[in-house]
Amino acid sequence: MISAAAKGGTRIRETRRDRIFNAVNLVFWTLVLLIVLYPLWLILIASVSDPDAVLQARVLLWPVDFSLMGYEAVFQYTELWGSYANSVFYTLAGSALSVVVTLAAAYALSRRFAGKKLVNLAITFTMFFSGGLIPIFLNVRDLGLYNTRSVMILMNLVSVWNLMVARTYIQTSIPNELYEAAVMDGASHFTYFFRCVLPLSGTIIAVLSVYYGVARWNDYFTGLVMLRDRNLYPLQLVLREILASLTSTGSSDTFFAAYADNLGGLQEALRKAEVAKYCCIVVSTVPAVLLYVFMQKYFVKGVMIGSLKG
Amino acid sequence: MRAIPAAGKGRGGGIRRRAALEVRRDWQLWALLMPALAFFIVFCYFPMYGVQIAFRDYKAAFGITGSKWVGLKYFIKFFSSYYCGRMFANTFLLNLFGLIFGFPVPILLAIMLNQLNRKRFRGFAQTAIYVPHFISTVVLAGMIYLFFSPTNGIVNHLITAAGGRSIYFIMEPGWFRPLFIGSEIWQNAGWNTILYIATLTSIDPQLYEAATIDGATRWEKIRHIDIPHLIPIAVMMLILNCGSLLSSNTDKALLLQTSGNMATSDILGVYVYSVGIAATKAQYSYASAIGLCLNVINFAIILLVNAISRRMSDISLF
Repeated sequence: MISAAAKGGTRIRETRRDRIFNAVNLVFWTLVLLIVLYPLWLILIASVSDPDAVLQARVLLWPVDFSLMGYEAVFQYTELWGSYANSVFYTLAGSALSVVVTLAAAYALSRRFAGKKLVNLAITFTMFFSGGLIPIFLNVRDLGLYNTRSVMILMNLVSVWNLMVARTYIQTSIPNELYEAAVMDGASHFTYFFRCVLPLSGTIIAVLSVYYGVARWNDYFTGLVMLRDRNLYPLQLVLREILASLTSTGSSDTFFAAYADNLGGLQEALRKAEVAKYCCIVVSTVPAVLLYVFMQKYFVKGVMIGSLKG
Repeated sequence: MRAIPAAGKGRGGGIRRRAALEVRRDWQLWALLMPALAFFIVFCYFPMYGVQIAFRDYKAAFGITGSKWVGLKYFIKFFSSYYCGRMFANTFLLNLFGLIFGFPVPILLAIMLNQLNRKRFRGFAQTAIYVPHFISTVVLAGMIYLFFSPTNGIVNHLITAAGGRSIYFIMEPGWFRPLFIGSEIWQNAGWNTILYIATLTSIDPQLYEAATIDGATRWEKIRHIDIPHLIPIAVMMLILNCGSLLSSNTDKALLLQTSGNMATSDILGVYVYSVGIAATKAQYSYASAIGLCLNVINFAIILLVNAISRRMSDISLF
């Protein structure tokens, strides 16, 4: 309001204390943004610097001895790209299915019908209680889904939270009069859902796609528990071997050593690996962040609608 | 699956006939609901049935119901195990400290963001603080390994440059919680502001205008307008978070656990994974028993907290 008033010319002059407050706030946000963005910037500039400069931590503000050596090495990591393709598939197929299933159920739950209360209870209950990791794992094994691509798509297919956000959205942003008018014209639920609800749900489809898409892209735990075959690994699982070098999987050096022949010997491969790690972070994170930035317009709006009333 | 109660009586009034028609149309709603419902039944309720292996000596050959019933054997084994107390304490403390340090940050950020009156800067700041949320847990752990490395991490270079001694962060039990919680805040504090920002933007602008005319400073407006509006939602979030004091962020802890920091990083969720899945000779029944204990305790805490909050503040989840 104050900025609007300022533009209109009828400016209410800020007091001295307000000006101090504004200055403090500006400093505060500069610090916050520095803390939030500097680590990300550091990864970007390290990924295009010389390995030696990175190892000596000389890369602080700008790339040092600019080189694309790291990215060249990353392109050699065939296993990484195999898992990248897997993740693209799991994410696209899985999220598409998730969005469709969630929207259909959200529409059903936004209408009144006999038995709805019980269904609601049964669904909400799963949010607060689960069988636990081991029974879930054994269930998947008994269903014959262990170590298949299907499990990566079917696990976590519907999130209760997203379902509720979608239901709230449909309830609040699609007027009931529309439904009544459609019914008058003889529309069935199918007709109404496909012809009226879906075309009006652009925002919530965008929100759900980002939610589901990012969750699937970033998930490594499902693959860790449910997959054995390395050919099926999602990207995050291979990244784990590259990045988290002290965990039980052993040193990441074994991963890099496998590509020594194409990268000028073992020593050179390990040297390049120091930068390649940063490059791996970049190539794996960029899709998720880009998705967010492109969808951001719908996103913040849609999330707020869902969260305020949900 | 057709639900037809009350449909029979529909003779006479148009309203009733319409109600009967609605019920007959219901099967399409069930059809739309079915895929999601099938998912919940197969992937959530089947495992709940399978959790009985916690009371049995599970052998894959005999199946769930065919395995021998052993009662509370595995529960007793767990509660009398040497590390049981340590794991409970570690899980609880990790969540408690996470709550104490992590909870106020989004509120602070939301209030300060609301006070930024340069629109473009504000938009940029809001976009920027959401970004870390989209980074994966693996990458976050990788960043910790890279930045806090004892030999070539930037943090230790700064420490040694300032005359200090290099610290092997990821191997020190004392640094596990700060790293875990600090990175958690870095990643999610911005994202968690969404709810508070939504609350702040829903405040009637007239309140601010009236306050301005009465000569209130910005600080006074925060104190007397923003904060009272945020309290109900903050209380609700606090309640929700209290409900997860014993749940564990298994996937992240698994990445940050090393042989060196076990004294603090040994938490229940990771233990379930390592005993039941990662071990070469997986102990399904034992791990199920631990998992069941955790789930029951967490569920009880949520019910308790919910009841308390309903009585005290009328805010409750169900």
